[in-house]
Amino acid sequence: MTLRSVFARFGLIIIIVMFFSFFSYVSPVFLTFDNQVNIIEASAIVLILALGMTLVVAMGGIDLSIGIAFDFGAAFAVVALKDFGAAWYVACLIGVMGGALVGLLNAILIVGLKISPFMATLGTFFVGSSVERVFTNGGGPISYRRMPQEYRDLAVGDVFGIPTEVIIAAAVCLVYFVVLERSIFGKRIHAIGLQKDAANVAGIPVRRYMFVAFILASATCAIGGLIGSANIRMFTPLAGFSYLLDAIAAVFIGAAIHPKGRPNVIGTLVGVLFLGMIGNGLNLMGLDFNLKAALSGIILVSALALAVAQQRFR
Amino acid sequence: MTQPMSQRLLGVFPIIVFACLFAYLGVQSTTFLSLDTLELITKQAVPTVIVSLGLATVVIAGGDDVVAGGIDLSIPATAIICAAIIADQLTNQGASLPFAMILAFGAAAIIGAINAFLVVGLRMTPLLATLSMSVAIVGITKVITSSRRIGVTDETIVFIRDGTIFGIAASVVMTTVLVLVFYHALHRTRWGMNMQATGGSRDAAEISGILTRRFVVQSFLIAAFAGWIASVFVLARGSGSSPGTEENMLLEMVLATFLGAAFSPRRVVTLWGAVLGAVVVSALSVGFISIGVNVFWTGCIKGALILLVVASASVTTKGRS
Repeated sequence: MTLRSVFARFGLIIIIVMFFSFFSYVSPVFLTFDNQVNIIEASAIVLILALGMTLVVAMGGIDLSIGIAFDFGAAFAVVALKDFGAAWYVACLIGVMGGALVGLLNAILIVGLKISPFMATLGTFFVGSSVERVFTNGGGPISYRRMPQEYRDLAVGDVFGIPTEVIIAAAVCLVYFVVLERSIFGKRIHAIGLQKDAANVAGIPVRRYMFVAFILASATCAIGGLIGSANIRMFTPLAGFSYLLDAIAAVFIGAAIHPKGRPNVIGTLVGVLFLGMIGNGLNLMGLDFNLKAALSGIILVSALALAVAQQRFR
Repeated sequence: MTQPMSQRLLGVFPIIVFACLFAYLGVQSTTFLSLDTLELITKQAVPTVIVSLGLATVVIAGGDDVVAGGIDLSIPATAIICAAIIADQLTNQGASLPFAMILAFGAAAIIGAINAFLVVGLRMTPLLATLSMSVAIVGITKVITSSRRIGVTDETIVFIRDGTIFGIAASVVMTTVLVLVFYHALHRTRWGMNMQATGGSRDAAEISGILTRRFVVQSFLIAAFAGWIASVFVLARGSGSSPGTEENMLLEMVLATFLGAAFSPRRVVTLWGAVLGAVVVSALSVGFISIGVNVFWTGCIKGALILLVVASASVTTKGRS
């Protein structure tokens, strides 16, 4: 095995291990069990959004409006609880449907009007964020302090000592793994992403699959919104935007680990945990807020560059 | 070749929409159709026009597939970091404007080179490369400014903000000159033709003996250069560097450049389209404020407009091919 082939195969993994060792060495707290749980817990929401993104990218698209789906999920659920006194599970359902609305708009624009996914979801982002501003009269949060404990538990509760949000994220991750990597549906989604025309010729109803996938992705992101709103007991407009780049980055880091460079569920999980570890480690080093922003940006570019370089070496 | 009437109507549809919109704004607001408003609109548009020139160049050289073709989302961040460097040098370090500008130029050159390396050297998707670069640059900007506003009172910057040349706002005159330089370079020289060929069809250009990689590299360097130039006007417009201006600029740049494509007969990104797009976006913002539309709705209107225009463009190109 030459050095080159080792890099091509394990380059990014080696970097992840190096960062892990570095943070363990620099900060005595990093390696503790509690802190490792912290990293996983902090990554739960990002993972859910990144999984939605994985589905869209695997299909050869991109979704810039996942933040809007996240916000709509939170807004619909909080309003259902607060103004309509809905039961917590009804609110969850309504929230997910609210997110699905965003996906429906995307699907109509992309599949129906044949707009490129980038422009269509950018437009959805514009329209969605404006709707949020109008709805909240300029962007003020909608807070609901006395929300039912069951709803609140989505973020702060635990089952046998495991935080609920981690369980939800793990469940979503498992479902995505089965659907995207182990089912006919998933194979066909990957086929569309690899060669859309070929998939069409092979008899896959490409348009119907794309339509469904965009709605599924947005509905998934809304689940993240539910957890987010349960955690802070309010809906904050435009909060979802901050997850966009992490989700995209995680998907592409994940694709780099895949033997054929495809977006995949396990890879996305690794990517999300890597980003979570970097954020946590930099926090523990007690760096200045601004310096931390700069460092995490530089690490992001380097990690993505490395991920892509790794694919080229194959 | 004769086209059916409906096709031809769809072709000019974006222009009709905007003509109607401006006519409506003109009727609704007594001040909208005046020279003062025109000056305000063009002055507001200046930074967006310049970064859109950069983006248009990258798209022209890289092809107009938004994900796999040429796109540079780091231009606004480049403008913001250059503005921060210049403001920091002028106000906090007491440096002269030329020195500060040279320092900022160095930063822009490094950014352009890294972008080019990522995209051409590593063959990274331009969207991903420049988006992550944008995040890194914004982070470094925070270190330079400590996330604070830095005011600038330099004479030249104030002149660009308030001064006039032959009775026209200085920033508008300078930008017009810049647009003409870009136009000449890209449309009237052999170099520009080769650049256009590269974006039109990479393979065909390659076979004709054009070193396509070199042109893509150059397009990213030019984009960074546009960011550097725009920084001066960003400083002038805001009387200093302020944190968080890049996000809005990014949206306006993408909106302007791709909106511009809808104005071109072949529905491709062009320099004139980008300039016109930037002015139209600025005019819409000013117009909606002047007739008292709730500012929270303007994002929605802009989003709906871009979707409308892009959708009509996709319908017409589908009809032709």
